[in-house]
Amino acid sequence: MDTLANVAHGFGVALTGINLLYCFIGVFIGTLVGVLPGIGPISAMSLLLPVTLSGTPESGIIMMAGIYYGSMYGGSTTSILVNIPGEAASVVTCIDGHQMAKQGRAGPALGISAFGSFIAGTFALVALMLVAPKLASIAIAFGPAEYFSLMVLGLVVLTFLTQGSMPKALLMACIGVVLGLIGLDSITAQPRLTFGRMELIDGIGLVPVVMGLFGVAEVLLNTEQAIKRDIINAKITQLLPNKEDWQASAGPVTRGTLLGFLLGILPGGGAVVASFASYALEKRLSKTPERFGHGAIEGVAGPESANNAAAGGAFIPLMTLGIPPNVVMALLLGAFVIHGLQPGPLLITQNPGLFWGIVASMYIGNVMLLILNLPMIGMWVQLLKLPYNILFPLIILFTILGVYCSSNNVFDVYVMIAFGIIGYFMRKLGYEPAPLVLAFVLGPMLENNLRKSLILSQGDLWTFVQRPISAACLTLALLLLIAPLLPSLRKKRELVALDEGA
Amino acid sequence: MNNQTNVKLRLSNSELWGGLIGLALGGFVIWSGLKLKLGTINDPGSGYVLFYTGILMCVFAGSIIISAITEGGPTLASRWENVRWSKPLLVIACLAAFSLALEPLGFLLASIPLMLLLLRLIDPVRWTLAILIAVMVPLGMWWVLKRLLLIQLPSGLFGIG
Repeated sequence: MDTLANVAHGFGVALTGINLLYCFIGVFIGTLVGVLPGIGPISAMSLLLPVTLSGTPESGIIMMAGIYYGSMYGGSTTSILVNIPGEAASVVTCIDGHQMAKQGRAGPALGISAFGSFIAGTFALVALMLVAPKLASIAIAFGPAEYFSLMVLGLVVLTFLTQGSMPKALLMACIGVVLGLIGLDSITAQPRLTFGRMELIDGIGLVPVVMGLFGVAEVLLNTEQAIKRDIINAKITQLLPNKEDWQASAGPVTRGTLLGFLLGILPGGGAVVASFASYALEKRLSKTPERFGHGAIEGVAGPESANNAAAGGAFIPLMTLGIPPNVVMALLLGAFVIHGLQPGPLLITQNPGLFWGIVASMYIGNVMLLILNLPMIGMWVQLLKLPYNILFPLIILFTILGVYCSSNNVFDVYVMIAFGIIGYFMRKLGYEPAPLVLAFVLGPMLENNLRKSLILSQGDLWTFVQRPISAACLTLALLLLIAPLLPSLRKKRELVALDEGA
Repeated sequence: MNNQTNVKLRLSNSELWGGLIGLALGGFVIWSGLKLKLGTINDPGSGYVLFYTGILMCVFAGSIIISAITEGGPTLASRWENVRWSKPLLVIACLAAFSLALEPLGFLLASIPLMLLLLRLIDPVRWTLAILIAVMVPLGMWWVLKRLLLIQLPSGLFGIG
């Protein structure tokens, strides 16, 4: 009954005129950045972070959250119709979604993607409502050893799922950890790798690193080729999937939702990993895996559900523990902090209007997204026709402004440009940036928890094995690390691992 | 891959270079960790995690180098084969020039030429449209950020913007 009363209270907050407007602006911008290749939710959220200052905390955070889950919807449109992922979580949707569009089935692909996203998004919200308040009490049992092992597992899962050689992905993760440790040591306050620069005392900013490695590097790669965007020009009709499509998609949507939600909660999980993992799972479970890559609807339904469920699930560790499980949530944490709020177990009890208002706004946002993405699909298709030679200078300008606005510091613009160039050469040499970015976010927390566990256990490394949750995470991580050494498993990994630029 | 694009123990092997850069970075991180003091396992110091991460980096880089030598890898030239390699270089040059000009010239005076160059140098947009976009978009963004959102953008030595 308490939950229902809280939800009712939440709807009371979310249904006020101003919050509805912010929710709509959020999901609209989210769909827009999802549709436009080269600008993702991270860029949009960092660009709009200062806007949240002008309203109440509820309004600002409702809008920021809307951008995130809205981009998950919009990203699929570009993947299906243009074969260019609008944002990283929609990379896998390109593979089968675009093939379906080429076969004249763009409508069902877009339809199942929107419905799958809606189902998964709604499930994630119900689960968020039920799980979040309870998780806070369970999480009290988590010590630094559990947190450390959980983060190690998150990093290993991501490197396992990254295309190319595993040593390359692991090397990237290590570089990410090192970059994350730049600045003052949180325990001894000793400056590390600052090279005497005051700008580095607080460490390198997350926004310039991410925008450089993903935004600028992507633009540099795209300018190498005269982009012939393979836009599906045929009029999109019959958006509703038929009975066979629903039958084929029911399993993938269910599995994608559950898997995505669980991976969303885990540090290192998030929408990108969830969509990759769901695709791999569906391909592995399919009786006809050879259809994947040639327009299998399961390859659209699973990942699209997974990335939306993960987007919802990712709010759990942030809201209940105050730990951002991915880069986007780290930005959302920034939005909380600038309003003087600290997400964590106390947020739900001290600010019920805020917590339940955000949850209720997501229900409303999901309905808005379904309307924005199905009946109004034609508008987004028109937007896709904007030529890339006009779009990319705009993307560069927006990323520069986004980085500058996030810190009001020109140094961060230099950092972004440097990481853009580094990211370009990394991609050319076959090194993926995703493990680096995640390790960059988790690095300081990873170090902190490792050092705390060692101090608490007086240097006894068995502490990581004696605690069951920690032992389970480390065992799983070890299995994933040694898996590529076995030829048969190596072959399977190569089949499931996907290229970001696919 | 043919023999020219897949080489083993040659300096043109791109995989070898990737591994060597990783090894050098790993070595630097180990050295930095040692300089910051490792502490003990009971009380790890500031350099503890850096030192062991550096070791891991060297191990992974070593594995990449061994695989480059034994299995071979694409040449550096083949990585830029059949692409317009000069275009990203132009964008990089524009961004480098922009970063040098941003503080002395300010946002508006630095971003208008940047936009114009990007619009004209890569896949040229016709002059009238290019000038219109290059002027109007930075100006519009400047107006929104400075007037509506009250965000201070760099105004440079001339105080424009």
